[in-house]
Amino acid sequence: MSLILDDAIDIKRIVYDEEAIAKRVKELGAQITEDFRGEELIVVGVIKGSVYFFSDLTRAIDLPIKIDMIGFGNIPDTTSKTGVVKITKDIDVDISGKHVLVVEDVIRTGLTTAYLIQNLESKQPKDITLATMLLNPDRLLMTIPVKYYGFEISDSWLLGYGLDSKEVGRNLPYIAELANKI
Amino acid sequence: MAVITISRQNGSLGDELAEYLAGKLNCAIISRSYAMENFFGESEEISEKLSDSAKLFLTEVSGQSGVTYKDILTNRINEIADDSENLIVLGLGGCIMLKDRQDVINIRVIASMETRKKRIARRYNVTPEEAESTVTIGDRKHKRFVSILFEQDLSEAEIYDLTLNTDNLSVEECAQAVLALAGRRAQRSRISNETEKDDSIDHQSDTPVFKNETEAEFAKILDMYGIEWMYEPKTFPIEWDEEGNIKMAFSPDFYLPKFDLYLELTTMEQKYVTKKNKKARMVMDLYPGTNVRIVYKKDFQELVERLKSFGG
Repeated sequence: MSLILDDAIDIKRIVYDEEAIAKRVKELGAQITEDFRGEELIVVGVIKGSVYFFSDLTRAIDLPIKIDMIGFGNIPDTTSKTGVVKITKDIDVDISGKHVLVVEDVIRTGLTTAYLIQNLESKQPKDITLATMLLNPDRLLMTIPVKYYGFEISDSWLLGYGLDSKEVGRNLPYIAELANKI
Repeated sequence: MAVITISRQNGSLGDELAEYLAGKLNCAIISRSYAMENFFGESEEISEKLSDSAKLFLTEVSGQSGVTYKDILTNRINEIADDSENLIVLGLGGCIMLKDRQDVINIRVIASMETRKKRIARRYNVTPEEAESTVTIGDRKHKRFVSILFEQDLSEAEIYDLTLNTDNLSVEECAQAVLALAGRRAQRSRISNETEKDDSIDHQSDTPVFKNETEAEFAKILDMYGIEWMYEPKTFPIEWDEEGNIKMAFSPDFYLPKFDLYLELTTMEQKYVTKKNKKARMVMDLYPGTNVRIVYKKDFQELVERLKSFGG
């Protein structure tokens, strides 16, 4: 199967369809519900990639949770050619002394996640755990607390369910493999 | 994290810096007044005499053969430092008194006479001439105290790790510099202690010189993410000959203190990658609790890509 999403994006195959994703998200939600029963939990989604996973996962958690979102980006900096990573949308809820679950779409090297953890830790939560839809354990460089993940992936170019290629394809309801890197 | 000694000129904001740091680190300040109130028993007379005469510190404490007031001062401060995660010692010749400790950072706070005069005049509502006299007398007293007790000139630059001139620096800016230094010192002490316990070699004092552009670029990536790094802080011997001489060693490129993780970059041919993987595994086997990860070419390239078009 080779679907042409637009002129530049060639989808090779669907890796996880809607049904598989829904089933796995439901399982993760049940597990998180069990693990945090009786505890105060704040779930923080990472803009923009996690938006669909975050939306489905939080609705699969059967607890009175609070939710928020965090965004970050590369900001030009006069003292550095590469710029610096800065929070572009910070969380608004108070997380001090609370359990925090950070929701990502995909974790590969873990460098961006490590940055987020460093930032959230400065707000002194009780603890931080991570949930990601996709995890590439072979590529993980950082020692970060990934407790929940939907599927393990290898080195392929994926798209859909929040993952993009040049900002296109995030709204596909399934996760697909691209025929080639864009 | 550290014991911070602060030596200061009168009117240099050294006291304010000590207060600010104590608040940030949630720790105590051992100052002259604290020492007088708490170290020498309940006799106010002795405390007053010690306040007036530095020479009295060199005399024997009555009923304690061979023990001087200076000994009591030094021992009590060392005891408190041993029991505290953080401590600030303000004045008292702390930088000389504690010079044998590994966990000490010695700070000197200075400012020009003009700046100090203005500050004192404003604070105490006195004339510039009176302010100058206050500043000069205060400095002389500090100098005399240290000279008598420790036979050292406290204005000598080499006894300090960092000298801060507050002519153009705020207390907060000074505190940031001190805290950054204290953080790095704590990491350095931890690695030095590890190397004393096992066979690894500490070369943190070496200036980081990157071996190639990839390492320099990787350092930039870490900087971009605000992730603290150290370059090749340690060498791990991994193979020895029959006489115990080191045959093979491994020095991972980067150490990330926050994640207690060593990273080795490899952007070369597969045969070298295999060798590096083997070395990393050997380090983890021989030095339990040590985490080493290999950064492969594709990881590196992906990170560089992100510099060009940041994804998230």
